[in-house]
Amino acid sequence: MGYVPPWFYRWVLAAVVTLVIWLAWASTRTPEALWAPGHLSRYHAGVQSCMHCHEPFQGPTAARCVACHDVAGFRREAGSVADFHVGAVERQRRCVTCHTEHRGDTAPITIRPLHNPHGELVFLATGARSCADCHAFPDGLGGRPTLLDNALVGDLIEEGEGAHRRGGFARCADCHAGGRVESDD
Amino acid sequence: MDKVTRRGAWVVAVMVTAILAALWLEYALSPWPGQHLGHTQAGHIIGWIGFGLILLTFAYPAQKRLRPNQIWSRPRLYMHEILGILGPLLILVHSGAHFHAVVPVMALVALGLVVISGIVGAVLHSLAFRTLYDRRHELAQGGLDDRAIDARLHELAAQEGILRWWPWVHVPLTAVFVVLTVMHVGGALYFGGM
Repeated sequence: MGYVPPWFYRWVLAAVVTLVIWLAWASTRTPEALWAPGHLSRYHAGVQSCMHCHEPFQGPTAARCVACHDVAGFRREAGSVADFHVGAVERQRRCVTCHTEHRGDTAPITIRPLHNPHGELVFLATGARSCADCHAFPDGLGGRPTLLDNALVGDLIEEGEGAHRRGGFARCADCHAGGRVESDD
Repeated sequence: MDKVTRRGAWVVAVMVTAILAALWLEYALSPWPGQHLGHTQAGHIIGWIGFGLILLTFAYPAQKRLRPNQIWSRPRLYMHEILGILGPLLILVHSGAHFHAVVPVMALVALGLVVISGIVGAVLHSLAFRTLYDRRHELAQGGLDDRAIDARLHELAAQEGILRWWPWVHVPLTAVFVVLTVMHVGGALYFGGM
């Protein structure tokens, strides 16, 4: 280190300070380019500001989400997904447990691809309005769901007369070919 | 192929293998396609550990600066070099080959340049030592006593100018890397939450 004159370190400091000032200035002009881990999805392409969804040092909070995606909006929609979200908002669940962003404009906004192994048949047959009517999602939709022990599940098990059992519900189409409620047996 | 070229080729081969292994590990540890390891809690922890190891590398230059009269320690330099390779490899596992935001990309590029300059410096340092060792051997065979050999080698070491440029490259790159990394961590906590 002895070969380096003191002025060299002053120049290094000046260069670093200049870099920081440039990044601070650029952050006000194009914050997504500097900080975002990826482009927003097509669903949120119109969002103009990072702070629209992010709270400082708290990340994307449910409070910011429901400012646009409120209960009234979900209630206006029909179907199990809307009901699930009404329940999630009313129970103040964290949206980021299941949802993510900044993965590109054509990427899904759920953390992992969602697949309902039962198809729509299960809603038709049981009267369930939402996945959460029969399942608990302890780690959000990214985790493995567990079957609830409630009247709806109990009725479904009873209805199967032995064919419906825990761990065997996913193969609905084996007996209910074509999505018929009445089985072939 | 002479010894220096062979050694250089070996270093490059190990570097490329380590980089590919780190990128593969990131791919293997990512929960599913589209969900990168760096955006998971495990990825954050790997990033923090890598950053921690890199911070420990500063113990060597700090000691040289704070205690300039202390005898130079080869084990401490080795520790500096090992931590300076393990830490960046963990950062590479943390980042993977995903590049979008300018600040972390710049931090990663700066880190890569710091590591490359460090490896080049280590090789030059090693060659300088070997030159001194060979010269000492020659002088001893020529019949000089230890005191005379030390005097001759002192002149040789003083003339060894190849390492003089060293801090001019390694120090500014390190400063830029540290500032960009602090900004990246600050930005991640600000936008992503504590």
